[in-house]
Order: sequence, then C-alpha cells, then structure tokens
Amino acid sequence: MKALEQLKDTLKSKFGGNIIKFESPLEDRLFVDVKKEGVKGVCKELFTQGGRYLVGIGYDNTKRDNTLGMIHTFAFDKDSTVICVRAWVPENDPVMDSITPDVPNAGWSEREYMDLLGMKFTGHPKPKRLVLSDDWPEGIHPLRKEVPYNLVPPPAENVAYQMDECPEGCSVVPVGPFHPSLHEPNHWSIFVDGETIKGCDYRGFMTHRGIEKLCTTQVSYNEVPFIAERICGICGSVHATAYAQCVEMVADLKISRRAEFIRTIMLEIERLHSHLLWLGVAGHLIGFDTVFMQSWRIREDIMWLCEKWTGNRKTYGMIVVGGVRRDITPELKDDMLRVLKKVEEECIVVHKAIIGDTTIHKRTKGVGYMTHEEAVQWSIVGPPARARGVDIDVRRDHPYAAYDAVKFDVPVVDTNDVWGTVVVRILEIFEAIKIVRQALDQLPEGKIITEMDDVIQSQRHAISHVEAPRGESVHYVISGDENRADRWRVRAPTYPNLQGVPTMLLNDQFADFPIILGSIDPCFSCTDRVQVVDIKSGKVNVMNQRDLERMSRRA
Amino acid sequence: MWLTSKVKQVLMVIKPGVVTLKYPFEPHPAPENFRGRPHWDHHKCVGCGACSNHCSARCILVRDTCQELRIMLYDGSRCTYCGRCADVCPEKAITMSQEFENATGDREDITERIELFMLTCQRCGRCYDMENTNALERLDLRGYRYDSLEARALIRKTTEHFDPNVLKETEKYQRPTKL
Amino acid sequence: MEAVYIIVNLLVFLGLAPLFEGIIRKITAKVQSRQGPPIYQPYMDIFKLLGKTTINSADNWGFKFAPMMAFASIVSVIAFFPLANKANYLTQYADIITIIYLLTLGGIAVLLGALSSKNTYAMIGASREMITMIMVEPVLAMTLIMGAVKMKSLGIDITMFSINSVGYGWSVALMLVVYLAALQAFVGRPPFDISEAEIEILEGPFIEYSGPNYALFKYYMMLKQMFYAALFVMVFIPFLNTGIYIVNLAVQIVEIGVVFGFISLIGSTNARLRIDQAIKFYSVLIVLALCAVGLSVYGI
Repeated sequence: MKALEQLKDTLKSKFGGNIIKFESPLEDRLFVDVKKEGVKGVCKELFTQGGRYLVGIGYDNTKRDNTLGMIHTFAFDKDSTVICVRAWVPENDPVMDSITPDVPNAGWSEREYMDLLGMKFTGHPKPKRLVLSDDWPEGIHPLRKEVPYNLVPPPAENVAYQMDECPEGCSVVPVGPFHPSLHEPNHWSIFVDGETIKGCDYRGFMTHRGIEKLCTTQVSYNEVPFIAERICGICGSVHATAYAQCVEMVADLKISRRAEFIRTIMLEIERLHSHLLWLGVAGHLIGFDTVFMQSWRIREDIMWLCEKWTGNRKTYGMIVVGGVRRDITPELKDDMLRVLKKVEEECIVVHKAIIGDTTIHKRTKGVGYMTHEEAVQWSIVGPPARARGVDIDVRRDHPYAAYDAVKFDVPVVDTNDVWGTVVVRILEIFEAIKIVRQALDQLPEGKIITEMDDVIQSQRHAISHVEAPRGESVHYVISGDENRADRWRVRAPTYPNLQGVPTMLLNDQFADFPIILGSIDPCFSCTDRVQVVDIKSGKVNVMNQRDLERMSRRA
Repeated sequence: MWLTSKVKQVLMVIKPGVVTLKYPFEPHPAPENFRGRPHWDHHKCVGCGACSNHCSARCILVRDTCQELRIMLYDGSRCTYCGRCADVCPEKAITMSQEFENATGDREDITERIELFMLTCQRCGRCYDMENTNALERLDLRGYRYDSLEARALIRKTTEHFDPNVLKETEKYQRPTKL
Repeated sequence: MEAVYIIVNLLVFLGLAPLFEGIIRKITAKVQSRQGPPIYQPYMDIFKLLGKTTINSADNWGFKFAPMMAFASIVSVIAFFPLANKANYLTQYADIITIIYLLTLGGIAVLLGALSSKNTYAMIGASREMITMIMVEPVLAMTLIMGAVKMKSLGIDITMFSINSVGYGWSVALMLVVYLAALQAFVGRPPFDISEAEIEILEGPFIEYSGPNYALFKYYMMLKQMFYAALFVMVFIPFLNTGIYIVNLAVQIVEIGVVFGFISLIGSTNARLRIDQAIKFYSVLIVLALCAVGLSVYGI
C-alpha cells in the first residue's frame, strides 16, 4: 500500500495540525481523525487526488462525549482503498464547514444530517429540507438517540415544500408524486421551454421507512440482513451482503470460502435478473413494449431458478452474518447451468435485435448527455458512469466475496448518453453469466455458516461496498452495545446518481425525461430509507373484506 | 434496413411462442423448497420461543397466561416469509409450506395459535438445550419477547424480560370489536 | 332503398370497430409472448365505461361536449362512406371536402376536450395532437385530391374509386407508400402514439376523462382507425370488386382485418418517437404526397 502511505504523508504535511490520528484496522481501510476545522481542506485534497466521494455518515455520540460525528468517505479505486475522514462537533454548537462547494455529491449527505441530526454546514449551496416530511416539526432530529423510534409528531396543515423558482420564460410540468414513469413516489418540477427541459427540482424521500433508526434501536445484528434486504426489491441481496460484510469486519469474522462463492453467485444472478428487468423497463419507457415483455420473459427463467434455490422469486433471504443460508446442491448446479445457457442464448438474440434497432437508436443516442468530467465530478456510479467512460467497478477495484477468484471484464463505453447505459448493461449480462459459471466451477467444499466466538465489541467502525446492478451500495456500521449496531448507514447507488440527473436532463426533450431518469435505474425506496415511520394517526384501523367492498362500491 | 430488422424481430418472437400461464385458472404449484406460509406442529413444539426471538418481522408472539399454559401465536398479516423460524427451530416443528395464495379478508385465516402445556423443570427451570452453538443464535438478544397478543402492536418494543407493567396494561386491553 | 346501405355502414363500423381493436391487442400480445386479452375485450371495456358515473372534472361545456362532437363527426363520416364499393343515399350529397372537414372536426373535438380540461399533461398532449393533425391531415387530403384530380370531380365515390377507372400509375404507387407510412400516425399507434404517450403524459388529451365520456372517445378512436384502414382498402385495393354487395362487403372486411394485422405488427415492433423526430418524418411524407398529386396532374 505505497499509495496509501504517500497519501498519508501528503495529508500530514499539509494539514498536520488538524489531523488527530490515522487508524487502519484493515489494510485497505484508512480512518483519518480530523479536527472539525480541517475537514474542508482534507476532503478537498482527497477529492482532487482522485478520491471518489462515497457518502457522509453522521451519528449521534452525545451519550459518550457530547458530540455529533460526521464521517466523509472517499474511495480510491486504483489503489483499492477507502479513506474515511472522521470529525466531531460539540452537540450544543454543531457547526461544520460544508464540503459541497468542492465535492458536489456531498450535498445530499450534508442536507440529510441537517434534518436528521440538526447539524449545520456553513457554505452549503442549497440548505433545504431533504429527508424529513414537510410537516415534521423544526427542532426534532430523529436520528438523535433521545428521540424514540416510534415518535409520531402531530401532523400540521398548510405546509408544503417550496420547489425552486421557475426560470424566466419557462413553464412548470409537475411530475409525481405519482406518475407512471417513476414507479415510486417522488416529485419533480420540470421547467420546460416548449418541450425542452431547462431545469428541474427534486423532492423525494416520500417513502421513508425509518429503517436505519429501527435497526439501531429495535432489532439485533442478525435480524438486520432481512430488513436490509427489503430496502430494495431488486438488489436486496446486495444490501444484505454489504451489511453482513460490515458486521463481519467489526467482528473480525472470516467467513468460509464456500459461503463467499455462494454469495458471489447470488449477487451475479441478482445482477442478471436486474439488468433484464431494467432492459424491459427501458423499453417500456420509450414506448417499446415488446422489448419489455420479451426481456421479462427471459428473466422469468431466472426467477424460477431462484425460487427453487432460495425459496422465493425475490427477497431471497440468503445472506446472514457469518455466511449464507442455503447451499448449492449438485442438482441445483446442473439446473443453474442449464438456465444460464438458455438465458445466454436468448440474450444474444435480444442483444443483436436491440443493437440493430433504429427506433431505439433514435430514442437513446445523444439523450441524457453528460460528459466524463461531469460524471467524475458528481461521483456517478454504476452503468451510468461506465457509459461515460468512468472505469470503475467495485467488484474489480475492491474485490469482496469471491470476486478475486473469477475473471471478468468491465464493459466501459464513452457515448456519454442513455444508449451507452443500454450497451453497458447488456454486456454486463454476459459478464455476469461468465462469473456465475466460473464460480460454480471453482466452488470449494466447506460449511456455509461460520460461527462466531466473541460478542462484538462496541464502537468499532467498518465500511463495506458492494457493486449492485445499478451501481455501488455503501454500508457503514458502527458497532454498539446490546447486540445491535450503534449506527448503520446505507447509501444506495441511486443516491449519488439522482443528484447527477439534473445535469443529464438539461436541454433534452420532455419526452426523454422518463428514459433519462430510467437510465440510472432509479430506486427511490433504496434512497429513501432513513426516516421514522410516519403514520398520520397512531391508530391502526383493521379493515376486513366486507368493509373494503363496501368502500369500493360506494366510490 | 429498418424493415428487415422489424421482420427479424417478428420472426424472433415466434420461436418462444406464448409463455404466460393460465394462472389463476390453472394452478401453478410452487417448488419444493418454497418459503410459503409456515406451519406449526404442536406435537413437536416445545415452546422454546426461538422462532419468536428470531422473527425479524416480529409476528410470532409468545405469552404465558399462567404458569403452565403458554400461547404461541403466529400472525401472518405481517409475515415476510423469510423462513428464519423454520431454520432456528430446534425441534423442527415449523415447516415452510408451498402455500402462497394467502390473501384473505379475514386476519384469522392466516393466524395460527397453539396452546402448550408447559412443565417447569424442577432442577434448573430450563426444559431444553439452551446452549447457543450457532453464530446466528449467539448474535441474538437473550430471552424470548413477552408480547401482548391482543394488542398485536405494529412494532413492539423489545422488552427483553417479563415486565409486570406491560401485563397490567394488556390485561385491561379490550379487543376491538369487528367493524 | 339506398338508405339501407347507410344503416349497414353504421352497423358494420359500430359493430366491428371494437373487434378490430381486439385483433390488434391479440396480435400485439402474441408478439409479446403473452396470452393477451380475449378478442371481445374492447366491447367489454366500452360497455363497462358506459356504465360508470360521469365525472365532469373540468366543469365546463367544452369538456362535456367534446366527446359527443368527436363521436358524431366520425359517425357522419361513416354515413357518407361508400363501403363495399356502393355509394349510398347520402354519398351524393357530400364531397371529399366534407370528409376531410368532418375528420378534422373529430381532431378538433379531441383538442377541445383536452384544452378545456385544463390539465398540464392534457395541454402537452393537445399541442402534440395539434402538430400531428397539421402534419398528417395533408396526406389524407392529398390522397383524396389525387383521385379528384384524376377524375376531375370532387364526388366521394368517384374519387375513391379512381383507380378502378384509371388504373395504377406511378403517382398511385407513391401515394400508396406514403399512406402506408402515415397509417400509424392516422390511427395513433406506435411509433406515432406521441400525443397519448402513456409514460410521460399519461394518455395526454384523455387524462381527465372517465366513464361514458371516455367510452365515447375510445369508440371514436376505434371507429377512426377502422375508417382509415377501410379508406386504404377502398382507395388502393379496389380490384376485388365482384359487383355483389354482400360479397364485396365480406371481402373488404377481411382486407381491413389484414390492414389491422399490419398496423399491430408495426405498432408492436417500434419504439415511440419524439415529436421533433416525428415532425421530420411527417414533412417528408407531405412532400412525397405533394409529388404524387403533382404527378397525377400530368396523368402519370
């Protein structure tokens, strides 16, 4: 790790006074404790050195030393390292310099902790409410430890989020909160001049489920994978794996090689079906329903395979801390190879058809344009980044599970548009098939669950990232007492990508809005995971069939 | 160019033919490993509460109505069918069935309730092997959760051990009459 | 006696238009490897919609009036239509200008409904619908005018059966290609279902409509697409004329069915174009249609 040492030296020489200590629990992880005055400088330095901003993690440390913590994390893909810049501010004066002017992607992370922890970031360009609902009272910050997880403040009337002002000469087209091209609730104001998009504002986080708070107050370490899996309906295993890896890191647990291979197979099969799903959705978004139906037809074989293996079509429930739950039997292996062969053949046909289809070219080429530099600047991840020539892939750059044992290519194109993401995703389908075949081939013997000897020590930090089909999922765990994490932060790939969407939308046609947004494969429920469950009245009305029938007849 | 690609596409889709099923007019059985609705075998159940302990959706509730009688209640309305209960059951009393058509108008249809006659071991108070050998079990909270069966609160507080106050509250609790 | 043919016209169109819609849906489903809805599904749809409460969400007369106007205009076009190569009692009282006028009126009714519903998406849909109308109506007009030029008459039956009398020429061949290319736009199917684009503007002009009003619009769309298919059969494939009314009718209905098969295959293998791309396409069509009319003036 020569590069890491070099970086350490640079930081020491430049910000020596502000750096408290370096800590490196694993050889590819570096935690830098910084005084709050030095955060801005250190982050800027890391970003200019080529660090890719991952996520900001804010946590409440009031009980221990009366501080609120903020961690900025950067990935150095060429050196396979992750650097976490940790800083603290006193609880009674939680003010910190904003790094958003230098690192635009940090904007949401900082806004999130303005809402959730009541921190203040000086110099933030858009300090608007991000996560909390419109009628959430000021001054209650739900991620603070003293706020109970099931707090339901009284609802308020006549409060609404103020969307950005519409620029001169443009008109507003509201998209959402419910709209067929969005699939999930979130609200866009699109400023159009004729049919050309001149700007937009986003208000999301409408499906907050309070998962992070729930999991750090209510459930234990090993229940979380099942909840993590439900963060996202498509890349569930990704979240469960990332979480499990985090906990294994804080517990110093090395899982068996077989479990790692099975995890790899699970993740790749998930990628396979996710990409086929995306291809279908993209077809639907450009009004080409045959692509939609055909790619979902191909996907169905994979779903049935998964049903046979894991017991369900989705939310496989395969991954637990310490390993996986179900083994791969020899019969299942044959089944898998057979399905893969079929899927591969069909995908080749679809690939040819799509590559040669002029109407798809017309709708996707040159649409959603974003340059390579902008993609780097906004820390775009996953296929949208790889379509813009950013050569990153966590599987290759920071190998986890059994990815170090398999050979695969990372398809990168530089068309900088939606067409590129289509190509990248289709090529990734073939790579995924390749990986599963290799993994099945090399599958070592062994047990699938590794036992743990000690209880997990409190206050240990771990960060783990996993390449989800739509990009990179980052999980950060701070271990706690009582057999549960003190802080668990999830960053889904849509979180950074969605921040880059306004750039992609600029000067495109309104008709292209669905496919541009679709090109990042947005998953709003992944992004909206934080808040406390907000039920209008605390009462739960149980309705039976008769009531529902009566209600629907009345309408 | 355009026309040939279209003709090719039409020819391409002829090969697989119609693939959608006639379900629900024809049944479509789930595979053997399917994680459907769990079933309890009350002959095998020893009432250890491990399932309740590991249920991440918290829909398996346990309550001792008196010293000898323990009620185990599975409330399927919030079940996520993860199958953890079946995994951890020491007596293999829980099986995940192939039933997946669980939509119902009445919550009682998907509720399973067993009443177990419990004997207290005169020597140690434990009736079965409590040693946690598995990493998964080791990671869990100790003790089963005490629940208010009638209230069936949406997300319960984890009261690790028997709390007399909760009991007092729930005893007065009136079950809502059917609407 | 000739008045009977009007009734036959109306019965055939009103009775079969949903069936052809059903055929489109079935063929599309087969292309998409699906079972698809039963072929009589559109009848059920209309029937069900007619049974719902009318919700007048925009609360003005334009909104209420538009569906009826659209439906009435297309029904009157059908009444004049010389189906099965047989001019009926009304045909002599109208000319091709009337047909073009009434078809445009149907489009105007859709615009009226959209604009009076005051919905943002309906406005976008209306502006797209307007552009589509302005760009593709000329193709229809040219088709009829070409016949008129050839026959030196504006009579409906005379212009429509011009090919019977003067035969195919280069101008007719060119016009046939242009008409086929514009057919998807006439009937509002992919790749030219831009004004209804479900994904971005949610059925555009019809977004605020429900119940019987929507049923009328739906019926209007089905009748319209059947009319355009029938017009194609009538103008460009007149050679299967046996002289016996019933046989002619049966033959033409089968031919219309074939045209619908073509429409659904094109519709299910194309992505929706953007309005700016469609405009480019339409303008080429208009130029070609003008050329065809020009050629016909010189008798080519």
